[in-house]
Amino acid sequence: MSKQAGRAGGASKRQAEDGDICPVCKSSRYLNSTMEFKINPACYHRMCDTCVERIFKKGNNMCPVAGCAKTLAYKGFRRATFEDLQVEREVDIRKRVMKVMNKKEDDFETLRDYNDYLEQVEEITWNLILNIDKDATERKLDRFEAVQKAEGNAGVSKREPTKSTARVALNKGIVPEALNNDDADTDFSFRGLKKRVAPPKEAPFDPWGGYNIAQQYYVLQDNYDVDWYARMKSDPAHLVGGHSMQEYCSRALREAFGGFGVFIEDEIAARDDPSMDAGVGTEHAAAAAVSGDNVNMDDVF
Amino acid sequence: MKFYIDSLPVLFPYPRIYPEQYAYMCDLKRTLDQGGHCVLEMPSGTGKTVSLLSLIVAYQQHYPEKRKLIYCSRTMSEIEKALAELKALMKYRAQELGYEEEFRGLGLTSRKNLCLHPSVKREKSGTVVDARCRSLTAGFVKEKKERGEDVELCVYHDNLDLLEPHNLIPPGVWTFDGMLKYGEQNKQCPYFTARRMMPYCNVIIYSYHYLLDPKIADRVSKELSKDCIVVFDEAHNIDNVCIESLSIDLTEDVLRKATKGVNNLDRKITDMKSSDAEKLQNEYAKLVQGLRAADEARNEEAFMANPALPDDLLTEAVPGNIRRAEHFVAFLKRFIEYLKTRMKVLNVVADTPPEFLNHLRGLTFIERKPLRFCAERLTSLVRTLELTSIEDYQPLQEVATFATLVATYETGFLIIIEPFESATATVPNPVLHLTCLDAAIAIKPVFERFYSVIVTSGTMSPLDMYPRMLNFNTVVQESFTMTLTRKSFLPMIVDRGNDQTQITSQFEHRNDLQVQRNFGNLLIEFCKLTPDGVVVFFPSYLYMESIISAWQGMEILDTVWKYKLILVETPDAQETALALETFRTACNNGRGAVLLCVARGKVSEGIDFDHHYGRTVLCMGVPYQYTESRILKARLEFLRETYRIKEADFLSFDAMRHAAQCLGRVIRGKDDYGIMVLADKRFNKKQTQLPKWIQQGLDAKSTKLSIDQAVGAAKAFLKEMSVPWTRAEREGHSSWSLNELEEHQRKKEAHGISGTENPAMRALEGRAEIERVNGDGMVDEFGAGPDLDADMADMADVNG
Repeated sequence: MSKQAGRAGGASKRQAEDGDICPVCKSSRYLNSTMEFKINPACYHRMCDTCVERIFKKGNNMCPVAGCAKTLAYKGFRRATFEDLQVEREVDIRKRVMKVMNKKEDDFETLRDYNDYLEQVEEITWNLILNIDKDATERKLDRFEAVQKAEGNAGVSKREPTKSTARVALNKGIVPEALNNDDADTDFSFRGLKKRVAPPKEAPFDPWGGYNIAQQYYVLQDNYDVDWYARMKSDPAHLVGGHSMQEYCSRALREAFGGFGVFIEDEIAARDDPSMDAGVGTEHAAAAAVSGDNVNMDDVF
Repeated sequence: MKFYIDSLPVLFPYPRIYPEQYAYMCDLKRTLDQGGHCVLEMPSGTGKTVSLLSLIVAYQQHYPEKRKLIYCSRTMSEIEKALAELKALMKYRAQELGYEEEFRGLGLTSRKNLCLHPSVKREKSGTVVDARCRSLTAGFVKEKKERGEDVELCVYHDNLDLLEPHNLIPPGVWTFDGMLKYGEQNKQCPYFTARRMMPYCNVIIYSYHYLLDPKIADRVSKELSKDCIVVFDEAHNIDNVCIESLSIDLTEDVLRKATKGVNNLDRKITDMKSSDAEKLQNEYAKLVQGLRAADEARNEEAFMANPALPDDLLTEAVPGNIRRAEHFVAFLKRFIEYLKTRMKVLNVVADTPPEFLNHLRGLTFIERKPLRFCAERLTSLVRTLELTSIEDYQPLQEVATFATLVATYETGFLIIIEPFESATATVPNPVLHLTCLDAAIAIKPVFERFYSVIVTSGTMSPLDMYPRMLNFNTVVQESFTMTLTRKSFLPMIVDRGNDQTQITSQFEHRNDLQVQRNFGNLLIEFCKLTPDGVVVFFPSYLYMESIISAWQGMEILDTVWKYKLILVETPDAQETALALETFRTACNNGRGAVLLCVARGKVSEGIDFDHHYGRTVLCMGVPYQYTESRILKARLEFLRETYRIKEADFLSFDAMRHAAQCLGRVIRGKDDYGIMVLADKRFNKKQTQLPKWIQQGLDAKSTKLSIDQAVGAAKAFLKEMSVPWTRAEREGHSSWSLNELEEHQRKKEAHGISGTENPAMRALEGRAEIERVNGDGMVDEFGAGPDLDADMADMADVNG
């Protein structure tokens, strides 16, 4: 008993302020060591889990804390992550804002613009936390979210400006006058956002890397009307499994026309022409010879 | 005496010089000429400081660049000693040269030691002095005064503004006492005099922390130019200093106080908004533009500086979401709440910084970047709010520093949350450690910035460990021994008792009756034969306590009591100081005393037992660290993975440097003599990790001894020492006059072609033999043999 009391003493030091006493039923941890506190993000009032079970299990009910008339649902209750419920609430709000306002530094042209953006986000969050024109801000957020979504889709599929992408244009910093005056005061605008450029459309895959393998000089036919060929077709050596006469013809033809694309004169002309590299090399050598001191003659002996 | 090294004239303030001092100076000069870092080991008591100072001062005065010397030492008393040496040296130089050189040498220490303000100086704690001083000297306080408000100012500080800023104190060397006296006479503040005169000094002497601790270094040592010569004296523990300067422990108490501090800040901001909103607006505007205030660059009363941020980041603007004061305060609140939540765990957590940041972002949406600016933003806010009672915000500052560190470094750090103090505790008392695992991080800016850094100490073996651990390259690495005419110290390794059972402090055996009795017998025997003082070192307080109580039962203490007075070191500094004083008194009159202390305690570092205060030192057991500590384990793992230093190597190295420090306590000069006993069988394998100068005296016949053999050797040694002996005997061999020195230089020139690598020449100069690569391949660089694993098993739990 005394040991437990000691432990309770140690623990109560930690949470001395509003302690281990449930504000609803006034039972303390001293009597119920497994007590757990829960909150509902609708009003952030703390109560013990027995109270939650007792009051809300059977259906929605009013918050038992005096002066709070919010209707709470059982499934909304959860354990608080933080001891300080103010912070808990703040974090919840941030979660909501961050889901929408998730621009990165790379999305902005300058660091300054990014910092301004961060400050604006912070202002919005603060408005929500301190309940300063909360509804308007909420509305703005919702609309911004929708716009963001539209922009995300627009970036992938189509580029022509629709009604929704027109507002995106507003957000991108190129602010057309006409758009600006319809409802600009209810929307966010951030300076210095980079224009989003859709990646160029990818060409279909070409395994030959642009090289044409179609034959230019001949057309392979299904059958050739030559008697040695007809004879060969009935030759058992060519009838074994896996051997194809078609392949045989194709190879014979390819070898016959093999050198047709090569023009020896061109090659000779190319060989006689001094190559670019050689020219550069001699220039360097000349420069080195003039400066004199830098020539490194590697004498193995 | 005056002599030349190459073409450099050196004035040495004594008529005779030790060969190793000369060699030491040659190596120093080589390093300075080449530019680069060096590691030098020279035994304590051979005049390291004076050789260092006289060479570097000679170097400064001879060459036109006049490179500045920054001499860093460990303790206050060492700094004072160095200042006194420097003063004597400059006096000698003036006398030799016939004129006073234009020269300034200053020491810097905390405000507590240098304060003259009649009420502030009476404060006991250093932080209170700092805080009160700031409240009397800060820039905004002065502005207030000028505006006609009634605020108190420090006269001593104000008087400084009346003087020429570059000539606050006349040239010369100023010891701390001298500074205080001069300050009192001229009514000027010694602390700020020293701080402001630093750019105009030739020699600056201060503690490591002013250069290594990034929180202070940025403020104090910023303006030092690149070509400074930096010396770290007594640097055998430098890696630990580096690590401590970047490690932070947070407890629940700190967090609670930090929350209080944040709430205070919040209130102050609200106040200021209603009264003086313009100031906040100004700060905001400055932050928006990313300008660091011009006065910030040279700000001696700054609240704190940024811990080791890369310079490019420092010039960047503060992120937008913490630009406004109220946003920043909320940000801090969130971060502290997160830490509180995090500390509620019931099992130990070890996270790397990226893991920690990820979790943090998931829960609180705090990004890495604003976190990184936390410390800087807090400084700026505190300055704007003109807070004077800064000590209240100390915990908050710690949290901010933690935030900045965690967000700045990805590797080399680990976050360990320990919910319980010990394995058996049931009441949680969580601690969050941010431990720096890499000693190189803190010292890196020093090595990068200055192009000659000299790391020196009496015990630095094995020399190549330091460059590896601190990640730098050396141009010179040298270990010196003591040139002795007669063998004046006797190291011995005792590994068994008279009953042939082993002596060891291994965990499995340390509580065996026989082992404890053998340790006791060893103590009795040496107390019997030693005249005057005996110093005994144990691996830990815990073991010392247990063995003392065991000895009480065996009546060992009663026997010791017949010969010596017994004194014990305790963790309490004042008790230990009293014990030391009694010890000294007992040694001065009477049969002497025995001091039982701990190898990592205060006595083992920095307290000298010269001459009759210490004739015998007993090292009972290998002083390993407590290997079960999670922090140590993490560091070992890091060392293995990053620097390829094996766990066993590092533990053994660390144990041996502490053992060497303990042994070095009794020999404080060439006239001194003493017996050094290493009592543990495990020392046999670790001989090669001792400093070269101890190894030199440790021959085959003084290892693997039993107690009675050791007693015999010790008696013979003491008899030899009692033979009358004059200093004249060592002339020419272990102490040179000018003629002998010049003779040596000529000889060396003649040997020129074989250079210093000539073994005979090296021995003459007191250089240690060059380590040869061992042929048998089984031996690694520390000389530990194949049975290292067995060793490792031994040490797994020592020091419990």
